[in-house]
Amino acid sequence: MSASLVEIDGVVKRFGDFTAVERMDLTIDQGEFIAIMGPSGCGKTTTLRMLAGLEDPTEGTIRIGGETMNGVPPHKRDTPLVWQSLALFPFLNARENVEFGLKMRGFDAATRKRKALDWLERLDIGEFAERNVDTLSGGQRQRVALARSLVTEPKLLLLDEPLSALDAHLVIRMQSVLTKLQRELGITFVYVTHSQSEAFAMADRVVIMSKGNIAQTGTARDIYRTPANRFVAEFVGRNNILSGTVTAATAENTHIETPVGTFTVIPEGPAPAIGQAVSFVIAADLVNITDQPQNTENSLSCTLISEEFIGSMVTLFLEAADGTEFKVQVQERALGSLDLKSGNALHLGWSADSAHLLTGETP
Amino acid sequence: MRGRENINMPRPNAYALTWRLPIIVWQFLFFVGPLLFMVAMSFFLVKNYRMIEAFEMKNWVKMFGRNYFWDSYWLTLWLATLSTIVTTLVAFPASFALAFRTSETVRRWAIFLLIIPFFTSYLVRTFSWYTILAESGVINAMLGSIGIDPITMLNTKFGTIVGYMTLTLPLVVVLQTFALANIDRNLVQAARNLGCPPWRTILTVIVPLAKTGLIVAALFCFILSFGDFVAPYYLGGSKPPTLPILIIDTTKSGQQWPRAAVVAVVMMATLITIAFAAITLAYRKRASA
Repeated sequence: MSASLVEIDGVVKRFGDFTAVERMDLTIDQGEFIAIMGPSGCGKTTTLRMLAGLEDPTEGTIRIGGETMNGVPPHKRDTPLVWQSLALFPFLNARENVEFGLKMRGFDAATRKRKALDWLERLDIGEFAERNVDTLSGGQRQRVALARSLVTEPKLLLLDEPLSALDAHLVIRMQSVLTKLQRELGITFVYVTHSQSEAFAMADRVVIMSKGNIAQTGTARDIYRTPANRFVAEFVGRNNILSGTVTAATAENTHIETPVGTFTVIPEGPAPAIGQAVSFVIAADLVNITDQPQNTENSLSCTLISEEFIGSMVTLFLEAADGTEFKVQVQERALGSLDLKSGNALHLGWSADSAHLLTGETP
Repeated sequence: MRGRENINMPRPNAYALTWRLPIIVWQFLFFVGPLLFMVAMSFFLVKNYRMIEAFEMKNWVKMFGRNYFWDSYWLTLWLATLSTIVTTLVAFPASFALAFRTSETVRRWAIFLLIIPFFTSYLVRTFSWYTILAESGVINAMLGSIGIDPITMLNTKFGTIVGYMTLTLPLVVVLQTFALANIDRNLVQAARNLGCPPWRTILTVIVPLAKTGLIVAALFCFILSFGDFVAPYYLGGSKPPTLPILIIDTTKSGQQWPRAAVVAVVMMATLITIAFAAITLAYRKRASA
């Protein structure tokens, strides 16, 4: 990646007694598609609003393109925001909505019209240019909102859960529209969402936030395969988390005793000390499931509780002897002759290198 | 998106009709009935100070042929328009501050205080202006103390407008405040985000969004001013008379109730036309291609 565009440096945001962002340090590169993901109230939208200048940080500095933005009012920034509610102006038609930012920048009527129509055309809604925005469908309104934000050719586009109001099939369509646009334009997208699938599908880098802090930053794969802490492991979902005490540790192997048995984990970093309390995760799709006991490094017997069929993949929900829940994700066609009657005993197994030790602290 | 394609009018049933009946009866007895009678009366004749039922165009021809009628008409129209413009402009900054710059609590108290003037009779409030506006009143006394000659404010158009505003300003502020407080703040922020300076959001976003409420407030102001007798009579000096004063004068001179009815019908027609135009404008959505 090239030079950094946005620097969020020790930013804190408090509203009275409530702390929305406890501490944030983040550098966003030029041309990067970054997703900020987290549960409601984690501070992701506040962060976005601070980038747009709609809120000012209580502490810390935000720099965009090297310039300190603290105190710069929203209209003097070039940080268009695609709103969750879209916030299209109901008294303007689609084209006039797109022209709004150009009008504020003093472009003449002919240029405004040409640029607006170009963008509406580019987003495949040219034919609706003169339509009242109230008469457009959700997907069309979405495209008007995008065109309105992009028409001024910003370096940075902020998106606040823009797809949350759309039908599932439209979300997939808009995702590809967004990624294609971002790649073609080469501008930076900061995309706030609570949806893992949206974040993972589109972003170069994902930032997971929890209670006003960054819990982990990394590529979708990093976050999915090597969650930094328990919060991320749970938030990302489809992970089995076990906690226990280290009983033996060598450079390659760490043995961890848990209530359901002793398991072997290969630590990516330095080995933990003997006696230390640790947690590790096994992704649901890395667990083998059979009806015969398994002879691998890590094995466990469970009782099947229920199954969830979502097409090509099946998620099985199981319970170990002490009530610990386990999730296993398998290809539907790989189930073979397994008898999936609830209450049946099944055997789980995974290799030591599919388990991942949680080293970071949960914020 | 909303309300365009399907406004499902429920079929009238006995229950709904029962509850609607009182207002329908009331409207017919005390509005439609008298209005029809007034229209009919405008065609009656007066002989020897007595009204005779007839159907003659005489009153209409007579009134429309007189310059004083048209002088009154244009004056009333002009004063009511001026009152509407001035009141709307004076009220807007106050309403804007109440809607956007104050807390919910302050706004609630302000609306309560704006309702208090309606506790006392408008006539009493109008008379209280005498002590302020008269040649020997408060304002001229203050001007005199710094060596400025007294200004005549009573019995002028200025006095009339002050009177109209006594009646309409609190109401217009309340209506405008409601209109402004209800607009979607996200849209104002969206405008700022797209490069609109704060002062410019007023004309580009806030006024268009609050359009319906602002026009309805102005319409109330116009209707109340147009039909008001008190302000032009006591503060405006009634020369030339406005239409409500003309009605009184006409009934007094030779029992000319039918000619007064002509004036009243013209007033009603004017108000209905303006109210209809204003409401159409207030609710007009942009034409969709």
